[in-house]
Amino acid sequence: MHPIFTNGKQMALYILGYLPIGAVLVIGFGHAGAWGTAAAFFLPLSVLSGFLGMTAYYVCRAFPISQQYRIWRALPAQATAAVTAGGFSVGMAWAWSAILKSLNLNVQPKMYMDQPWSLFAIGVLLFGLAIAFHYALIASLDSQRSESQVLESSLLVREAELKALRAQLNPHFLFNSLNSVSALTTSDPASARHMCLLLADFLRDTLRLGSAQRISVREEFTVLQRYLAIEQVRLGSRLSVQCAGSDQAMQEKIPALLLQPLVENAVVHGIAHRLEGGTVSIDAECRDSVLIMSIANPTDADRPRSQGSGFGLNLVRQRLQAHYGAAYLFETVDAKGTYRVNIRVPLAAVETTA
Amino acid sequence: MNETEALTVIVVDDESPARGLVREYLANHPDMRLIAECANGFEAVKAANTHKPDLIILDVQMPKLDGFEVLELLGAETRSVIFTTAYDSYALRAFNVHAVDYLLKPFSAERFAEALTLARTRLRKSEALPTRELLETRREGAALDRLLIRDRSNVHVIPIDQVDFVESQDDYVSIRAAGKNYLKEQAISDLEQQLPANGFVRIHRRFLLNISRLAKIELSEKDSRIAVLLDKTQLPISRAGYAKLRAVLDR
Repeated sequence: MHPIFTNGKQMALYILGYLPIGAVLVIGFGHAGAWGTAAAFFLPLSVLSGFLGMTAYYVCRAFPISQQYRIWRALPAQATAAVTAGGFSVGMAWAWSAILKSLNLNVQPKMYMDQPWSLFAIGVLLFGLAIAFHYALIASLDSQRSESQVLESSLLVREAELKALRAQLNPHFLFNSLNSVSALTTSDPASARHMCLLLADFLRDTLRLGSAQRISVREEFTVLQRYLAIEQVRLGSRLSVQCAGSDQAMQEKIPALLLQPLVENAVVHGIAHRLEGGTVSIDAECRDSVLIMSIANPTDADRPRSQGSGFGLNLVRQRLQAHYGAAYLFETVDAKGTYRVNIRVPLAAVETTA
Repeated sequence: MNETEALTVIVVDDESPARGLVREYLANHPDMRLIAECANGFEAVKAANTHKPDLIILDVQMPKLDGFEVLELLGAETRSVIFTTAYDSYALRAFNVHAVDYLLKPFSAERFAEALTLARTRLRKSEALPTRELLETRREGAALDRLLIRDRSNVHVIPIDQVDFVESQDDYVSIRAAGKNYLKEQAISDLEQQLPANGFVRIHRRFLLNISRLAKIELSEKDSRIAVLLDKTQLPISRAGYAKLRAVLDR
């Protein structure tokens, strides 16, 4: 399918582009007393040759020119096409003049039909222009396509890397959880079973959710709460959770498991270091055209922020970069005994129209 | 050791289910008597100080003080220890290098019994733990970011940026931080190695200075120099100490 044909606006622009050519012909062929005839003859014909020119697209596609295929390779075919188009133009002119005559509009297009070789030459020239135009169009379409392919594949590569990283992300979590299950088996079998189910659900979530996939904030929160419920078995009353999101924010889509490493950090590098434990707060809201998410935890005053948390932070930053380009904000604030990560991303509706 | 007397054990783990598991496993070993359960390193130091247990079953990852730090604070008092950990590649490397027994969570009752057998043997032979070497391997040359000081049952945690200077006193060092002095059983040269070299300079055989506390250097008689700190404390600078100080300050 011709790419211009699929877009009404582009199509109109392309055809309108032939009117100035028609105007030039009117000026070239017209003379005092016969301007009306020239206009009535050449303007519609130039529009028709615009449509005829569109067939050049298929010739250009069939005989592409590139580094490997030089232009001379396409020349015989294009020349043949141009000559045919020239002949076709003369035919169109003849038909149009017949129509004009039959309409009794007081125009005499016969004088133009007396010089068919000129009409033929004009037809060939216009088709030549159309060929040049279509080669340029195809080149630009191809480069657009390859650009978006590069972008797409780099996103896929990055996501694949991240997925691999995440798979090996936290053996500590897994082994500790298994140890809890092992411990609870005799002392509290019901809790042991509950823990197994939580663990199974959480693992299923992490396996199911491809990282290129987007899920709603609500779904993401569900996964986070599962994770936190498991950690609560381990840490007991030391870990409490506060999770809140506005209705609008809950429906927004974000890359799956985006927040999980941050919540894990909040537990492993925050709450777990405090004797008295504390609350992990997860919030999401929409303000203006931005989705704002934050994760906060109290810190231990005696312990400098451990190096280990950097891995999770980088992972999240890279994923934001991969999904939102430069249109995101990621900041960490460590003040007054609270460590907070703030993320801002455009709302899905804004992102697609941008 | 009297063979008929039960061995005293304390278990240290911040996770309640994990302590419960050890309690359960220990019940199968009548020669072992669990005398304390601790949920963190501070409690562990306190309990070890009070009860002087034969064996400590010690989790590596804990809040405030990790298992290695507890071991460091208890020093030579520790008769034998079994580490437990879910996953910590640095810790595992240290254990393997120094042939210290450890249990990988989750562990079976059989594996636990094996570890107890090893511990009994060690206790019978009164083998000393390679505590220092273990800590050094674990640290992997990374500089300390805080100092741990035990004052009988209490533990002080001092971030190193709060330390003004350290003074050597025979087998101890006196650490001046936030207007207080703390005594720690350690050689000053040992501590010097553990502190970040660009932050602390050994200005004298007896003094290690946090250079961010230095206000000025004064020349006293006979070209010996004195470091004047921000709080007006004066410390002597040796000739070699002055060269080191210059080297760091000129950088």
